[in-house]
Amino acid sequence: MEIQLKLYGSSKILSEKETLDIQLPNNSDIKKLRDILTKIISEKYSRSNLENLPKTAAFFSEKDEVIDDSYKLSNKEYISIIPPIGGG
Amino acid sequence: MTLHTALVKIEEEKISSEKAKKFIASEKNGAESIFVGKVRNENDGKKVIAVTYDAHDQAVIKSFQLICNNAKNKFDKNAKIFLEHAKGYAPVGEISILIAVGSGHRDEAFKICRYILEEVKHQSPIWKKEHYVDGKEEWLPGHSLRPKKEVK
Repeated sequence: MEIQLKLYGSSKILSEKETLDIQLPNNSDIKKLRDILTKIISEKYSRSNLENLPKTAAFFSEKDEVIDDSYKLSNKEYISIIPPIGGG
Repeated sequence: MTLHTALVKIEEEKISSEKAKKFIASEKNGAESIFVGKVRNENDGKKVIAVTYDAHDQAVIKSFQLICNNAKNKFDKNAKIFLEHAKGYAPVGEISILIAVGSGHRDEAFKICRYILEEVKHQSPIWKKEHYVDGKEEWLPGHSLRPKKEVK
């Protein structure tokens, strides 16, 4: 299955587009998504200081609510990655 | 209306302290507290020329309203609150955040202002990328919103 990950903050380094399409095995959860992001970053973005991102990021559902590691993703689901924040 | 919150596309519009003062003005106010955060020209020994603010718009507005309502419930239910934050490319000197509070008494006005600032930094999904004199740029570290029970 495939999900669309909307990128914010430092995660924008992962694509020139606003979103990143990610292939996942069926019935994947957020924990699996973190594992796949770790792999993508170590293979393609090892010099970008993003190595902690999969561990420190939160994820928002389409309803803008934080979803935890056990949340089951659906095919074509649109979620947001929320790197550590720091406005003001 | 006692509450105004907004994200301001800073390349199109400025954050205005005059607008904030007008919004909170009331004869019931014994105190008005205004905090203005600005983009400064140095951070961690590096010369900064600008900051780009990225934001998850809908979640930011939700968080602003929640934070301000919590502040009113905690300190002064009748307070008038104005909160705006910049989004986009903001050069040095630009206002990044403006919090204005009108309240019956000084203590509540100060406390609400401080409370909102700290909560925005810890709850509102906003990110900063600094641009330096030498042409380099860097996303700044921040506060993780990942559920605490998951972080070991």
